[in-house]
Amino acid sequence: MVPFKELPKDAYQALEDIVDSENISQDPAILDSYAFSLNGELVSRDGSKFMPRPAAAILPGSTEEVQAIVRVCNRYKIKFKAFSAGWAFVGIAAPFEEGMLQIDLRRMDKILEIDEKNMFAVVEPYVIGTTLQAEAMKLGLNTHLIGAGSNCSPLASACAGAGPGGDTIFMGYSPQNLLALEWVMPTGEILRTGALGSGCGWFCGEGPGPSTRGAFRGMQGSSGGLGVFTKCALKLYPWPGPAVMPVEGTVPAYNSPLPDNFSAYTVAFPGWDAYFEANYKLFNAEIAYNAYKQYILFGEELQAAMVRILTDPTKQLDDLEELLKKPEIQKLTEKMRRSFQIILAGMTPRDKEYKEKALDEILASTGGHKVPELSEPLMRNWTLLYLMRLCFKNINYVWGGYIGGFVHGGTPDFAKSWYPLAIELKRKFLKEKRGLVDGGADTLVCALGSIGGGGGASAEQFTQYDPTDPESVKVALEFLASSRKVGREHKLGGGLLDWHPLYKEKMQQVLSAASRPAIFHWQGKIKRAFDPNDLGDTSWPYLEESKK
Amino acid sequence: MALEDYRADMERCSRCSFCKWIPLAHIKSWRFSRGCPSMEVGKFHAYSAGGRYAVALSLLEGRSSYTDKLLEVVYKCQMCGLCDVACKVCRYDLEPLEMMHELRARCVNDGQFLPQHVPIIDNLRKENNMMMKPKAKRGKWAEGLEVKDLTKEKAEVVFHAGCRLSYDEEQCKLARTAVTLLKNAGVDVGIMGKEEKCCGGRAYDMGYQEEFNRFAKMNIRAWTNAGVKTVVTACSDGYFTFKRLYPQAGSNFEVVHIVEFIDRLIKEGKIRFTKTIPMKVTYHDPCHLGRQGEPYVPWKGVERKIRAQIKIHEPRKPRYNGAWGIYDPPRNVLKSIPGLELVEMERVREYAWCCGAGGGVRQAYPDFSSWTAGERTEEAKATGAEAIVSACPWCERNFIDAINMNGGKMKVYDIVELVQQAI
Repeated sequence: MVPFKELPKDAYQALEDIVDSENISQDPAILDSYAFSLNGELVSRDGSKFMPRPAAAILPGSTEEVQAIVRVCNRYKIKFKAFSAGWAFVGIAAPFEEGMLQIDLRRMDKILEIDEKNMFAVVEPYVIGTTLQAEAMKLGLNTHLIGAGSNCSPLASACAGAGPGGDTIFMGYSPQNLLALEWVMPTGEILRTGALGSGCGWFCGEGPGPSTRGAFRGMQGSSGGLGVFTKCALKLYPWPGPAVMPVEGTVPAYNSPLPDNFSAYTVAFPGWDAYFEANYKLFNAEIAYNAYKQYILFGEELQAAMVRILTDPTKQLDDLEELLKKPEIQKLTEKMRRSFQIILAGMTPRDKEYKEKALDEILASTGGHKVPELSEPLMRNWTLLYLMRLCFKNINYVWGGYIGGFVHGGTPDFAKSWYPLAIELKRKFLKEKRGLVDGGADTLVCALGSIGGGGGASAEQFTQYDPTDPESVKVALEFLASSRKVGREHKLGGGLLDWHPLYKEKMQQVLSAASRPAIFHWQGKIKRAFDPNDLGDTSWPYLEESKK
Repeated sequence: MALEDYRADMERCSRCSFCKWIPLAHIKSWRFSRGCPSMEVGKFHAYSAGGRYAVALSLLEGRSSYTDKLLEVVYKCQMCGLCDVACKVCRYDLEPLEMMHELRARCVNDGQFLPQHVPIIDNLRKENNMMMKPKAKRGKWAEGLEVKDLTKEKAEVVFHAGCRLSYDEEQCKLARTAVTLLKNAGVDVGIMGKEEKCCGGRAYDMGYQEEFNRFAKMNIRAWTNAGVKTVVTACSDGYFTFKRLYPQAGSNFEVVHIVEFIDRLIKEGKIRFTKTIPMKVTYHDPCHLGRQGEPYVPWKGVERKIRAQIKIHEPRKPRYNGAWGIYDPPRNVLKSIPGLELVEMERVREYAWCCGAGGGVRQAYPDFSSWTAGERTEEAKATGAEAIVSACPWCERNFIDAINMNGGKMKVYDIVELVQQAI
């Protein structure tokens, strides 16, 4: 057995006294289930799937228990890190140092309130997007689902992360939906923000009570490195569909026959100019309920075949090669280039009619077209289900490992400026190396439009690799490094794994040299003010005082 | 396959936690959204399929060694397979349930088993049943029933009662009814009586693969000697074992669950209902008849990669994801009974919540087993049904016991009982 840093006996006892023995463990196997991480092989010190093993894992059941745990951590100077549903990219949910306490919030799983009239919900950390959506739909409401998937925690994303998704064009992205919250700060004090802080309920995240959104979120959220968020209120939005999402089809080819006030299309464009022009027009017209360049994550060469596999329960990955040889699939592959998926939802029949007309006009004016094969009833219903309920997570992992190179956000014009760079780099890699899944050069996944962002088009060049194949892992890392290099050369910024919080010194170097280092100096000030005992880990990135 | 063969699976798990929930598409409420009983009770991530992948990898890499907690992680699970279905909604390259079987087999081979399982397996070895009963009493359920004794005669069809229906005095009447239905329909049916042996399926689920192989061989030999072509059973565990596992041990028999047979007889007009049963019922899909009840398809092949890094199989590998289990025949039977109203629970078919009895859990963790059954009867109650109906004696027994313990009013039936009442 691999030895590891354990908690002092009296500290463990103090924690056990808070939650009972069944809700705390220091068994190595239990702890390794927390150390195991998606993409661990890209970032861990030994290239394994395991990040540093925590000293113990604990399952609090209430804010009071969280507070008591954090106070014990302060007393014994134990670093701690909390997660909600626990999914994260490149090991972000896992502790970055040995000897840390992993706080798993899965016992805090309640939807505490849905305020139908004021259109918000109050949730605990382990409520996932799907369950909140299912309950909201019963009241004619809907919630924003982050692109990471509806299996993720909306609270975690809104308070400590950042998640756009297909519905971002209608509902914004996760931090924009955050109202009041309850935060157990790294010292163990509880802060209730906005209206809640003044005892006025959950409806507002800012005044009359304290607004600390900027402090606890910083640039991109603390990812568990700055205290524990125990409750929050999230905005809800109108849902013009049935109270229960109808689902048909044989596993895994489920689909949703939503009523006629919904439609789903895949729309394609003759070139990137037209594509991004349509982005702007779509945002300005305010007609989309959901818009996502989603199926492209399979890659432009594979998306047509993969869509066929996912919609036919008799098909599977072993059929891919044969499907790719079929003329109708090859034809569809061509038709799906430079395309995205869009859902229109009519609040009234006239509204639906208007939206359909507006979409047709946008397509006519940009030279775009609806891909007919993907407008057929089964495909429509499949698209509805995937975009409205699942987001892309469940088709994300068809091939095991994935990484995102070229992760940049901005206006469609900005995206237009760097898409060719991302595509060219990927093409070069696919041609010269065999480490990445060859799905074609365009694997740029993008949530279209963002409330308040002028139609922002953040995108990510999805790149799949085999995490069990060392050569594939090596090429994936090279691809990321090249993505960052090209990004810097073109003044787009770095990118994924420019630094990783696991490596503190490198992080200090990179953040010091960042284009806006003041952000990380400021985050350092926040760190020192809110976490004087330095009990959070580097999930909250900051610059040390001496590095100024 | 051995545990090491699933190492790539372990490393490819994306920790999405789909395995903890019913397929997200089908979630209709917060209350009935969870899919994995083990995770709900164990609470730590390790109790999910994804967590068990990590635990197994930790064991393989020598990072962990056997502890009581690790054994609880391994054995406190009904092996119901919901995680397998939910995982495969997106993954085409993972086999979580198969890995969990191999993890248990590894533990057993390493002498790391639960003390609660020891007397049961000892009894299985000596008395050929999982019920802690003597083999001499196995055929008692059929006393006075005029049916062929296949230890002396031959027949086309063998009715395999299974351990529970052979020994549970409240439930064994179901076996008699099933045989009577078959006989009345003109089926050339016989039984093995006191020579019948456990199918071995429960032992397989508990990690005792050697015992499973021994019983598979004995049953296959006995049926072959009796000229049997078709095996009919009213036990869903037995059905899965005969349908999915026995072909891997060389069996070629047609395997039919009694509900399939009854459905067939109703359609052929050989069963006609004359009585009305005015009752609202809901149907519980047994895990081993539903999502695990898919037929076995032989495969021998290799992995290879296309498009540089996409893993596929040559030749095409059969995929078990619950799509083709037995879901409609029991519903057809219930719908054809006059007066009976069938209402559905939120978690049905391939994503049904488990009854709690399987995987050695009823024997080792009775409280957990009972809690799992209680969750299901609560779900049944939420439909407004008066009764929960199943097609497996293990499910029925677990529901009855849970309701007796919790004081509920929900009635519990096996489909065969309702068919008998309506004839």
